[in-house]
Amino acid sequence: MTKVVILDTDGEIRARIVGPTGAEHRRLANKVMEEALEQANLSFDEISYVIATGYGRINVPFADRQITELTCHARGVASLFPNAKTALDIGGQDAKGLKIRDGELVDFVMNDKCAAGTGRFLEVLADALGLRLDELGSISAKSTNKVQMSSTCTVFAQMEVVFRLSEGVPVEDIVAGVHDAIASRTVSMIRRLKIEPDVVFTGGVAKNTGVVKAVRENLGCEVLIPEDPLLSGAIGAAILGKELTLKALAKGEPIQRKERRLEEATFFK
Amino acid sequence: MTNEKKKKAINRLQTMYPLRANIDKMYERGVEASKAGKPTVWSMVNWWEADPILKAMGLEIVYPENYGAVSAAFGTAQAYLERSDAEGFPTHMCGYARNCLGYAARMKDLGEIPPEAPMGGMAKPVLLLSSGSLCDARYKWFQALGRYLDAPVWTVEIPHPGVEESQIEGAYKQAINFMVKELRELVAFLERLLNKKINWGKLDEIANDLIEINRVWYEINELRKTSPCPMHSRDFWSSMNASLYPAGDPKVSLKLYKDMYQEVKDRVENKIGAVAEEKYRLLFAELPPWHDLKIFDELAERGWNFVVETWAYHPPKPMDYSQINDPLERIATQTYRWFTGYFEDALKEREYMGYFAYPYLEYARTYQCDGALLHPLLTCRTATNHLMLTQDRLLNKLKVPSLVAEGDIVDLKLFNHADIMRKAEVFEEMMDYYQGERRKEGLEW
Amino acid sequence: MMEEAKKGLTRVREIYQDRTQRAKELKAEGKPVMGYFCLYPVLEMLTALDLVPYRIFGDMREPITRADACLPTVVCPFIRSCLDLGLKGKYDFLDGVVMCHSCEVGEKTAHIWRTYLNPSYFHFIDTPHTMHEAAQEQFKEQLKGFKKSLESFTGKELPSERLEEAIRAYNQQRALVRELYDLMKPDPPLISGTETLQVMVALAGIPVEEGNELLRQVISEVKERKDGPEKKPARLLVWGSIIDDVALIEMIENAGAEVVMDDTCVGSRAYFDDVELTDDPLEGLAYRYLVEIKCPRTFREAVYGETKKEHMADLESRFGYLKDYAKEWNAKGVILQSLRYCDIHGYEVPGLKDYLDHIGLPNIYLEWDYSKAALAPLRTRVEAFLEVIG
Repeated sequence: MTKVVILDTDGEIRARIVGPTGAEHRRLANKVMEEALEQANLSFDEISYVIATGYGRINVPFADRQITELTCHARGVASLFPNAKTALDIGGQDAKGLKIRDGELVDFVMNDKCAAGTGRFLEVLADALGLRLDELGSISAKSTNKVQMSSTCTVFAQMEVVFRLSEGVPVEDIVAGVHDAIASRTVSMIRRLKIEPDVVFTGGVAKNTGVVKAVRENLGCEVLIPEDPLLSGAIGAAILGKELTLKALAKGEPIQRKERRLEEATFFK
Repeated sequence: MTNEKKKKAINRLQTMYPLRANIDKMYERGVEASKAGKPTVWSMVNWWEADPILKAMGLEIVYPENYGAVSAAFGTAQAYLERSDAEGFPTHMCGYARNCLGYAARMKDLGEIPPEAPMGGMAKPVLLLSSGSLCDARYKWFQALGRYLDAPVWTVEIPHPGVEESQIEGAYKQAINFMVKELRELVAFLERLLNKKINWGKLDEIANDLIEINRVWYEINELRKTSPCPMHSRDFWSSMNASLYPAGDPKVSLKLYKDMYQEVKDRVENKIGAVAEEKYRLLFAELPPWHDLKIFDELAERGWNFVVETWAYHPPKPMDYSQINDPLERIATQTYRWFTGYFEDALKEREYMGYFAYPYLEYARTYQCDGALLHPLLTCRTATNHLMLTQDRLLNKLKVPSLVAEGDIVDLKLFNHADIMRKAEVFEEMMDYYQGERRKEGLEW
Repeated sequence: MMEEAKKGLTRVREIYQDRTQRAKELKAEGKPVMGYFCLYPVLEMLTALDLVPYRIFGDMREPITRADACLPTVVCPFIRSCLDLGLKGKYDFLDGVVMCHSCEVGEKTAHIWRTYLNPSYFHFIDTPHTMHEAAQEQFKEQLKGFKKSLESFTGKELPSERLEEAIRAYNQQRALVRELYDLMKPDPPLISGTETLQVMVALAGIPVEEGNELLRQVISEVKERKDGPEKKPARLLVWGSIIDDVALIEMIENAGAEVVMDDTCVGSRAYFDDVELTDDPLEGLAYRYLVEIKCPRTFREAVYGETKKEHMADLESRFGYLKDYAKEWNAKGVILQSLRYCDIHGYEVPGLKDYLDHIGLPNIYLEWDYSKAALAPLRTRVEAFLEVIG
């Protein structure tokens, strides 16, 4: 997913877009940006500063600066939840743990090598079960006897769920088991940070109420979910951009901008 | 009909049972001793290099490597492994080490033995006895335990010469001298640590008992060379403990081994085999799948007799120790021979991994093996590194094929029982074929 | 018309691109080239018998295809790569190979190398695991055995004078390397971490006097040039497993940092301690090689035979030198890196992190698997680390 957030100097969100990325993402960040500008009723030249973050951050030709999604997420989470000290973000293809102190990132862990423990895990297994991602949460809520998944690998887990289904295990119990597997894996990863409350859970997977429940159980404490779990990275990026801009203005220095045009990335043509 | 089915495929030795019972008692004794205030040592298996000294100082010894297998079998390993990961230790490392690190971290949190720890757990040690032998984890792991335990670490040294280098004039003597000096330092250290003197007489006695235990145990294993083989690998693994660790009173162990020798000799004389019909003779390398030893029963029903196994657990070739007066020298000599005893023969055959790999060539020949079952382990490099070379040499030099079955020491799910059984028939065809090949080469079996 | 011989950093880059070229030239001149692995084969002994030491490295750009037949995949990828290159014939030009008990996989690989590659000369040095006095004596005995073996191979005796000469030459190289490293102390450093590693790799395959001359050229070039490295916001120290290719260092430097110091074996561990010239040269050699080389494969303890153990004191004795490095080179953060499956470094990480946290040095641990593809996700982590300490 490609997300855009436009923020003004009062900290008000003027636009928020979440667009599907797909194979073309590397060229089409500008399209999503255009959508956001329309929503905010602004022209591109009125944007003081653009920060790009996430995997594709080097492919945004109109960005003034790139900052890692780790720093941006931490900022975004801290702005939404001032008492947050730990954040867990599970996206489509990676999972991150962030340690936050005084609103800033101080330590982190990442899993971007293994599909298990990311949104991909749920995608693959939902597909194997013939279910939609958005119904997994409500289905698992009906479970009374969740399955203990034995496979740690997505590929083997896929075989395992099909096998269980064929054995007659109720689908809600399988889904609850899948949720527990992803929760246990990601919680295990963030334990390396010495977890402190408040704990915030973000990313597309945080929209799944079943996983949220499983994360709570595995952590043994409450987790806070933002209204829009997909935007904390973009919000954080925008906040950082705002801070850089205001700092420059206060010092009477020019805002360090690149020469930029709102167009497709050219180096893939 | 039901009674036929219930008859075990492997004809277990009666004398195995009391030897096996020793293992369970070891933990109980350890826990009781610690509760009674007796100082405990956590030790790596050290092939009798340090254990006799520890015993002569009256210490209770616990083996975390062993405890790793116990935790895995009881299903508590997972929690300790996760704790080790959370502590920041890389996940590829030895499963036993991760289990122990997680356990120690938890014990530090609680200030006492964790209540969920199986078999009474391992008590807080006064010393960590690590060893440079065979693998790096065995001293690095104990060093890393300094995060959770304030016990000092002592690393015993054992030379690891190359095959050719070991036969250089003077090399043997130097190696023994080196080990003896180190052991003397260990004695001095223990005397300072425990504020008491070693009982040299007791050390002498223990050293002699061990040498004798290993000699008898060696003779027992020599008897397995006949056909049908009277003793299955399962009995080896169940009975070996008293030859590797101090498991109770050495005199009792010695008697039990002597009893076993008698039973095995009787079987040889009466041509009684460990399986009903010995169709194939197999060797096994390296560490057994402790959690699924039943697979051997199933394979025994197909006529697979496992006649020799795990070089790392086999006793050293006996020799005459009577001219060696210093017990430390006797101990050092036995341990060194444990590791390098095959080197002379290996050199003659120009095989350069004189331990781990070469012994299997000698085993295959002298135990007349038709095939090998190899068990590479995901997190134990030491027990896995030599298996490919072993497979290659067995096949290309001796025309003995291998079946490979992957597993792990703590992630027990990796071992695929069904898969191995499916492959068994095909492997039998391979073993039949290679028997023909060996005849062509003029090999004797 | 004769092309002018390349000098300084240009020559370094030339050697770095293809280390075998110089070795093959030397062979054509009739000088035997002896391959060696890890740091315990004593280079002075080889040089004193007119053998050119050539360190065996892997190639992270070469896919491993042959080594899997001899070694499992779950072992150090650097060692697998070395063996793979050997099996592919890339080291056939060597006149012999010296290996040692570097780590357990290194030790096993030495025997596997011996078995499958059957070099015309092969020797295995069994490095003890500790620094105990008896271990030092044992290592000295190992060197005596090595000496006899080399004498037998070359048909020449190794006289003490030649050995002392070699020790002086190598001590000179060590001093020159330290002088080069000193040039990374200014801000910005006069030479980048990437360039320094290229020099280190180049040195590992050429005779000691050539290396000394090359170092002198590089030092004066770097002092005089106007187009040295730019100032960057972060100065880092890199600790850990072997780095024999600039890719990782380059990635870190491209992410916005200067790697001003390292604690790795192609770098500082090989050069930062001299050999003391003792009456019996083997004595000084044994001490320096076994005790002074700071690789975690050697078991180090605070007080030999201590009966009490205090975690932080133990860490201070094992890692205290890093505090000095960080201070002298003004490093603001430490990158701990190790290869996947590297046990000797892997076990150190939590304790070392404890120590670095204790002395207030920000640090991050990266595990990688000796491939270029592995580096891309690491870049995000490095950038995030720089953002945290920035």
